[in-house]
Amino acid sequence: MSDEDAGKALQKRLLGEYYQSLGDAGRSGQKVAYLFVPGNVVELLRCFDMLPVYPEINALQCGIKKMAGDLILRAENIGYSSDVCGYVKNDIGLMLSDRQSPFGPLPKPDLLVCNYSGCNTFVKWFEALAHFYGAELFVLDIPYLRERGPSTADIEYVVAQLEELADVCARTSGVPFDRERLKRVTSLSYAAEKLWVDVLHAARSRPSPFDAYFEAVFYMAPLNILRGTEGCVEYYRLLLEELVSRQKEGRGPVPEEKFRVVVEGPPPWPHFRSFWELFKRWGVCAVASTYSKVGGLFDQGVFHDPAQPMESIARYAMNSYTNWNLGLRLDLLRQYLREYEADALIIHSVKSCRSFSVGQADFRDVLAKEEGVPTLMVESDLADPRYYSEAQLKNRIDAFFESLAHRRLVGG
Amino acid sequence: MRTYVAGADVGSTTAKVVILDGEGDIAGTSLGPTGASIVEAAQRRFQEAVKAAGIDEHEVEFVVGTGYGRFKIPFGHTQVTEISCHARGAHHLFPGTRTIVDIGGQDTKAISVNELGDVADFCMNDKCAAGTGRFLESAALTLGLPLEEIGPVSLRAARPLRITNVCTVFVESEIMSHMMKGETVEDILRGVHNAIAGRSISLLRRVGINPEISFTGGVSRNVGMVRALEDQLGLRVNVSPLSQFIGAIGAALFALERARGGKLVAAPVEGGT
Repeated sequence: MSDEDAGKALQKRLLGEYYQSLGDAGRSGQKVAYLFVPGNVVELLRCFDMLPVYPEINALQCGIKKMAGDLILRAENIGYSSDVCGYVKNDIGLMLSDRQSPFGPLPKPDLLVCNYSGCNTFVKWFEALAHFYGAELFVLDIPYLRERGPSTADIEYVVAQLEELADVCARTSGVPFDRERLKRVTSLSYAAEKLWVDVLHAARSRPSPFDAYFEAVFYMAPLNILRGTEGCVEYYRLLLEELVSRQKEGRGPVPEEKFRVVVEGPPPWPHFRSFWELFKRWGVCAVASTYSKVGGLFDQGVFHDPAQPMESIARYAMNSYTNWNLGLRLDLLRQYLREYEADALIIHSVKSCRSFSVGQADFRDVLAKEEGVPTLMVESDLADPRYYSEAQLKNRIDAFFESLAHRRLVGG
Repeated sequence: MRTYVAGADVGSTTAKVVILDGEGDIAGTSLGPTGASIVEAAQRRFQEAVKAAGIDEHEVEFVVGTGYGRFKIPFGHTQVTEISCHARGAHHLFPGTRTIVDIGGQDTKAISVNELGDVADFCMNDKCAAGTGRFLESAALTLGLPLEEIGPVSLRAARPLRITNVCTVFVESEIMSHMMKGETVEDILRGVHNAIAGRSISLLRRVGINPEISFTGGVSRNVGMVRALEDQLGLRVNVSPLSQFIGAIGAALFALERARGGKLVAAPVEGGT
């Protein structure tokens, strides 16, 4: 088996086991916590043997598996508006369909941990689930970051809430809080996070050995689902080996890397492949993306720390990409454009997601008009297939790369 | 033997073909509805344009296709998006052009170009057809007026209405509600033109409004829209009698570059739409 297959096979096995455990939760009696991806506190939950379920990831899986359209309609049938987040409606639709996900049945929540409050929709989403399932809801109030940090006061504020959450978890699970175990879990998180940063940095080479958007969104799955486990560390070790060997052979995701781009915004999951093709045909390779950082800005030095587990969880929770203000996000885009020697910025705006889309037009204005970065902004949705118009997207993408290619040709 | 090239612009509503001679002068043109068959529409327009030029089809050395139907044009040698073509065409007719507003059947585009006519930046309307040519067509239909009359009628408005909803789906109910209130056709139409101009200008602002501004696409034939744009911009806009052909002219100019041995950005391999 080549290295490439080994990484893929391990990911498949680990995720298969994870979904199997979700299907078995009813029988095993293991307590189930629902939580969000950005800045989540899964390390703490693992100390109580709680099984994490990520509704956002279920929603994106339904998108890829072409189930999202029907599920969204189910939610709309009971009154959800067409403007509501596609992920929320997908999840409500799943609930209305006996929670039959593309990977088998999902368990009901015993505890809902709203770990990120920067997106107002997240709070409303779990409030709805708390209502429908009659489950306990714990909302972490996460301070929004307006500068790199966070401050000591902010960390103390979040840690105090984490202590409260630990009490809730102990009560729900019947497992006492073992702080030594938290150290072990955070040290596993740290090991995987360090390897992931090396993976991301591999895209600095020419050609990049992988697409830091279209491939990275799959590579980041173990980190978002299995962080704090040994399998997760092993996966990133194998992935890094694979990318290093691709790097040595000069192999990349496109036959010839013609344009290096930075991508901002989540992908249109229901049309993921066809969207990628629109770029591939121009020899486009993403060398950095912001979406691959929704599960953590590790490349910005935000790691879990076994020496200070609670503080590092608090720090991590506040440093999720969408919890950064627009100035910080803009600086990050600038950093990526420079660090990865990108030719252009691509912004995929998501119709039903404000937490990502707000400010994107301003990014475009500043970077394109004031700083001369060729910037393309296209729009569809992350979950709702109705918002994807291939002919129009293709037209914009073709025009953009056509003019970039032309400028190169005439030496402009 | 003289050189001839062609540009075929198959849009969502109309198909246009322009034949240029080796000097870049127009030898023949043809325009007609796209209809259900892109292939047929393109072929018919090509044959007509060739006939108008008084030449044989095989004398056309190179053909560039553009518009939504560009990949389905059977006789096209390569494809260039209409964004690049409109930029090139408008710059050819009005060399001082730095900004282009193109209002077509389903799209509105704002394009900024450099002094060579190359695209510097562009913005297009969102997925829906609100505020495009289709809205004007539906408005004309609702009012029972031929499309070419609504512009001149709008210029006779005494008190233009303020219309905010330019949704193409709800155009009938929007207009009927104003008619019920006793508003005049002239005032309604001026309101419609102003609303569409306003939306187009907000697109233009995103790429930057630098004179000269050229107005292209089918809707530029509408004097009411020209007036509405000029009033709101406070600037004159260039409009050519050939405005509907500008995309095809641009495509033909790309074809000419190629025929002269120049390099042309190759369209990527088509993966099927």
